[in-house]
Amino acid sequence: MNVDNVRSQMRKGMLEYCILLLLHREASYASDIIQKLKEAHLIVVEGTLYPLLTRLKNDNLLAYEWVESNQGPPRKYYSLTRDGEIFLQGLEESWMELANTVNHLKRKQNLLL
Amino acid sequence: MKRTFTINLGGIVFHIDEDAYDLLDDYLNNLRIHFKKEESAEEIVHDMELRISELFSNRLNERNQVVTLKDVEEIIAQMGKPEEFSDDESNNENESNHKTQENKGVKRLYRNPDNKIMGGVCSGIAAYLGWDVTAIRIIFIAMSLPFFMNGLILLNWISIFYIVAWIIIPEAHTAPEKLSMKGMKVNVENIGKTVTDGFEKVDNYVNSGKPRSFLQRLGEGIVAVVGFLIKCILVIAAICCTPILFVCLVVCFSLFLAAIGIISSLPELFYVSMPFVDWSVITSSSVPTLLLSISGILVIGIPIVAFIHFLMSTFGNWQSMSLGTRITLLVLWLIAIGVGSFFMLNFGIAAIQH
Repeated sequence: MNVDNVRSQMRKGMLEYCILLLLHREASYASDIIQKLKEAHLIVVEGTLYPLLTRLKNDNLLAYEWVESNQGPPRKYYSLTRDGEIFLQGLEESWMELANTVNHLKRKQNLLL
Repeated sequence: MKRTFTINLGGIVFHIDEDAYDLLDDYLNNLRIHFKKEESAEEIVHDMELRISELFSNRLNERNQVVTLKDVEEIIAQMGKPEEFSDDESNNENESNHKTQENKGVKRLYRNPDNKIMGGVCSGIAAYLGWDVTAIRIIFIAMSLPFFMNGLILLNWISIFYIVAWIIIPEAHTAPEKLSMKGMKVNVENIGKTVTDGFEKVDNYVNSGKPRSFLQRLGEGIVAVVGFLIKCILVIAAICCTPILFVCLVVCFSLFLAAIGIISSLPELFYVSMPFVDWSVITSSSVPTLLLSISGILVIGIPIVAFIHFLMSTFGNWQSMSLGTRITLLVLWLIAIGVGSFFMLNFGIAAIQH
């Protein structure tokens, strides 16, 4: 057991949720998502994102369309599918649950760090 | 001055330095290998190529028109090496994510077929010790150099050690064997990395981040030249020896046939051919006789078994012998020869004196 491992496990679980969350509001292309995830310190290396996006797409949670860009080749714009919306809803609920649980525990134990 | 290549990356044309190209090519190949087990590996790599191409475009301008090694290194750092993002990858089936901790398996000594000059012995030893192959090869060459100078290409300790090692150390054929050669754990994930041409490239990407130093290049150059020379000498020797070998083979075969005949009539033959020997000395002492016959069986049997095993593992689908078995057999054989000749001599002397 070490901190880095647990932390990366936590992040791992969060990552999909956060990607869906980001795409919930607006369709965006990979580099935008990377930018935002990096700002939030969720990913360290960019390579992490691509397999995830493809997997979410294969699971029909995401869809993409090619959009012409004025500075280069066309870009893949990802957006949530209907399944994705429902999935996100589910994640939302479990996230609230988790957050509540942790907060509740902390309050009860006076474990406010 | 540097040579540049023109590449098409994600639909955009780039000029790229030769060394930068090599590094980028290695990197993309490693990505392909890493994602091999994914459903849409090509798509992932393609997306990453697009991203890299975008990053290149951002870096280039009127004054910097060529992608350099530094650019590629920085972009690889930004994108991450496969082992860096493998940790965050969601593997739903199992939670075997602590690769670095669980990746250590039992290390075994094998010959490495993917990186060899002669038999892959040095390469296997290097993998076993975790050293650089070139270092081991240079040591071998340096140690046998004095012998080579005297023209003793094969008849010296180093060469004999090498040949013995070549015979007794098994070659790593399968993916699990290659993994235990490197001391990596044999699991599905690791095996995935080695399938098809994987391992050599996995090798590359361990080194791909760091350009090789001048000393390493020099060492590799020396090794390549010496390896080539040794091979040439062996080929010439083989050509010269072919007629001799052929004769030997014929002789061996006829001897083999003769031996069958002789063995079937052995007791009588001994009796008749050596009337001056008192055979009762041998037949009356049962323990030495037993030992002698056992060692006789071993002396003849082990090479036959080994040869059959070799044929079956090369042309059939038998598993090749493990290192332990090989060493045991070799030691047994040597002991049998020792014991056999000791008793033979003793008997001979005793019987004649009698």
